[in-house]
Amino acid sequence: MVDFSLTDADKRLVALAREEAAIGLTYSRYYDKHEDEIEPKVFPDVAGRPDPLEVLDEIEGETSGRVIAELLVLMETARGDVRMRRIKHHLGDKIVNYAGTEKQRELFGHKLLSIAMTEPGAGSDPSMIRGSARYDAATDEWILNAEKIYCSAFGASDGAVVLVRGPEEKGVRPFMAFVVEKGAQGLTELGQVRKMGIRSWDTADFVLQDCRLPSINKLDVDFKKTMIVFNGTRPGVAAMGLSIAGSLLDFARSKLMGDDQALNYVRVAKTRSAVEDRLIRLEALYEATLLTILRCKWLEHRDGTTNGATKVEAAMAKALGGEAARKITQECVEMLGPEGLSEEYLAEKWFRDARIFDIFEGAGDVNRLIVARWLLNYSQKELN
Amino acid sequence: MITFELSEEQQIAQSTIREFAQNVLRPAAQRADADGKIEQKELDAIWSTEIVQAQAAEDGRSPILNVLLLEELGAADATLALAVAAPMAFVQAIADQGSAKQRQALLALFTTPKYQAAAVAVMEPSFRFDAGHFDTKADRKGDAYTLSGVKGFVPMASHCSHFLVIAESDGAADAFIVARESPGVTVRKPKGTLGLCALELAEVSFESVAVPSAMRLGEHNGCDVQKIIDSARVGLSAIATGLGRSVLDYVIPYTKERVVHGSALARKQAIAFRIADMHIEVEAMRWMSWRAAWEMETAQNATRSAQLAYTYAAEQVMSIADEGMQAFGGHGFVRAHPIEMWYRNARSISVLEGIAGV
Repeated sequence: MVDFSLTDADKRLVALAREEAAIGLTYSRYYDKHEDEIEPKVFPDVAGRPDPLEVLDEIEGETSGRVIAELLVLMETARGDVRMRRIKHHLGDKIVNYAGTEKQRELFGHKLLSIAMTEPGAGSDPSMIRGSARYDAATDEWILNAEKIYCSAFGASDGAVVLVRGPEEKGVRPFMAFVVEKGAQGLTELGQVRKMGIRSWDTADFVLQDCRLPSINKLDVDFKKTMIVFNGTRPGVAAMGLSIAGSLLDFARSKLMGDDQALNYVRVAKTRSAVEDRLIRLEALYEATLLTILRCKWLEHRDGTTNGATKVEAAMAKALGGEAARKITQECVEMLGPEGLSEEYLAEKWFRDARIFDIFEGAGDVNRLIVARWLLNYSQKELN
Repeated sequence: MITFELSEEQQIAQSTIREFAQNVLRPAAQRADADGKIEQKELDAIWSTEIVQAQAAEDGRSPILNVLLLEELGAADATLALAVAAPMAFVQAIADQGSAKQRQALLALFTTPKYQAAAVAVMEPSFRFDAGHFDTKADRKGDAYTLSGVKGFVPMASHCSHFLVIAESDGAADAFIVARESPGVTVRKPKGTLGLCALELAEVSFESVAVPSAMRLGEHNGCDVQKIIDSARVGLSAIATGLGRSVLDYVIPYTKERVVHGSALARKQAIAFRIADMHIEVEAMRWMSWRAAWEMETAQNATRSAQLAYTYAAEQVMSIADEGMQAFGGHGFVRAHPIEMWYRNARSISVLEGIAGV
C-alpha cells in the first residue's frame, strides 16, 4: 500500500546526517577556496559521533530499505557539501565486489577504488575511449596506456578500475577493465582538476604509460556489466544535485519571503506575486524530482541493485535531477539579485556547484537517449 | 515506510477502469467535444462503474484509489473523467463533512441506477477570482442564510440536482447545500468553453436564495472549505496525468511512422528527447498526485502537497500537449486527430478549481 512516511529508523538516520551536514557547511567556503586539499578521512568535529552509515548497518531492517535509507542520508550529507567522513566504497570497488573473482575480491574488494572512464575525447560516448591494453604472454602481464581525466575520488582512493580497449578480436577492440593501484609503475598522477564548482569534490587526472599489471588485475567484465554500477549511482548523484538546489531554494525562500512569511499554498497561481509564484513552481519541481528519485530507489530496493532492472528509471531520475538542479539554481540566483552574487553567502557557490549534476555520471542528453530508446523500442544504432 | 507498491485490489480496480475507459470513453471523446454534450449512454456507462456511489459508502472512499482511477479516466478523456469527478467531489464533501442528517438526506440520491449530477460550485466568473476569497456571500439572519452571487464553470450545471456553493459568510469561506429547484437559483445557458466542451460548464446565479442553517455543510460545526479545494487539486492533477499519458501514447506510434528528411521523426533527438521528457514528466506528475492523495488518506493536512501537485501538473500537462502538437505538425492542428482537443483541454484543466475530488 502506497506510503510516503519515513520509519523511525529512517528519521533517526536523517537526523544524524543532518547534524553532520550542519558541521560540514562550516567548511564549505574553506574547501571551495582550497581545492587542492583533500579533506581528512574523518573530521575531528565528528569524532565520537555515530557514523550514520554504520548506524544504518545496525538498523537496516527497520528502515524503508537499505538503498532508500542510503539515499536519504546522502541527500542530507550533500546539503553540507563537505563530507565529514570519507566514503568507504566507490564505484570501482563496487564493480570488483559484484563482478570480481573470489581472489580479486580478496585482493581489491576492501580498497577504495574510483572508476576511470573519461578521457579528453571520450565523455558521454564511452565508445570513443582510446586507452589501450595489450597482453605480454612472456610475463603474463597486461600493458596499459591511457589518459584518464575527471576521475572522482581518485585523489584519496587506493586506485581505480580503469576502462580501456583490449587487442582487436574479429574487427573490434573489446572494452576491458583493470584494477590499477596507486604506486603502479607507469602511473602518473596529475592532481586535482580545476573546476567551476564542487571544488571540495575530489576529482583527479592521471596518465598510464606502459603501465604493467599482473593478469589478476584484469576484471572479467564487459562494458554492459561495468555500466550496471551506474544504475544505482545515477539516482544518488541526481539526489545530490537536487539537495544542493534545495539548499539554495530554502535560502532564496527565507531571504525573499522573510522567515515568518510562508508561501501561500491556498491561492491560485495567477494571484501570487511573481516571486512567490516562481518559488512555488520551483518547489513543485523539487518535490516532483525527489519523488522520481525515491521511486527509482524503491524499485531498486524491490528488484535488486546490480541486475540492471532499474536502468530506465535511473536514467529518468538523473535526467530530471540534472534539469531541476540547473533550473532551480539559475532561477534562485536571478531572484536573489545582486546580493545573491556575494561570497558572503553560499548561494553563488551552490549555483556553481549544481551545474555539473546534469553533466557527469551520465549527462541529461545521454539519459534521455536511454529513456527514449526504451520508449520507442529503438536500438542504439536506430537512435543516437 | 516508503513504498510505491499498489495492493492487488488497487491494481485490479486500476486495470478494470483502464479497460472500460479505453473501450467505452475514449471512442466517445471527440464526438462529445464536438457536440458540446455527453450522451446519456456514456453518462450511464460512467455511472455503471459505481465510482461515484462508492464515495458515499462507509469506508468506500480511498483518495489513493481515486487518483488511480481518475488517471485512467483522464487517459481516455479529461472531460468524461470530470463528469465522474464532479459528482465525486460533491458526494465526498457531504460524506466527509456533512452532518448525519445531511448525509442521510443526500447520499441516497446517488444510489439510483441513472447518472446523477451534482457539483461543488467554487469558481466565480471574474478575471480576479481567487480560491481564498469569494464574492458570493451568505448572510446569516437567525436560523437561515441568504445566499447571493454568481458561480461560474459549474460542471454539468443544468443536470445537477444540487450544488455545494462555496460562499463567504461571517468573513470566512463556508459551504452551503442548495437544491437546484430552490427559488432564486438560475442555471444559465452554457456559453461554450475553450476545452472540456462537453462538460456544459455554466454559470449559476443565486439571487437572495434562502438557505436554512440545516443546509450549511456540517450544520453548526461548519466545514473546512480548504479540504474541498485541496481534494479538487489532487483530482485535477490525476486527470492531467492521464491526459499527458494519452498524448504520449498517441505521439509515439506517429513519430515512428512519419518519415521526414529521410528518417522517422522519432529517430531525431529533437523529437526523441521531447518524448523522453513527456514520459519523465507524466511519471513525476503521478507520484505528486499519489503523495497528496496519501496525505489525504492518512488524514494529514494536504494543502501544500495538493498545491504543488497541481502546480506541477498544470505546467507539465500544457507543455506535453504543446510538444505533442508540435510533433504532429499540421496534423495536430486538424480536428481529425485528438491532439488539438488535448491541447485545449490541457490549458483548461490547469486553471480550474473545485470541480473534482478524490
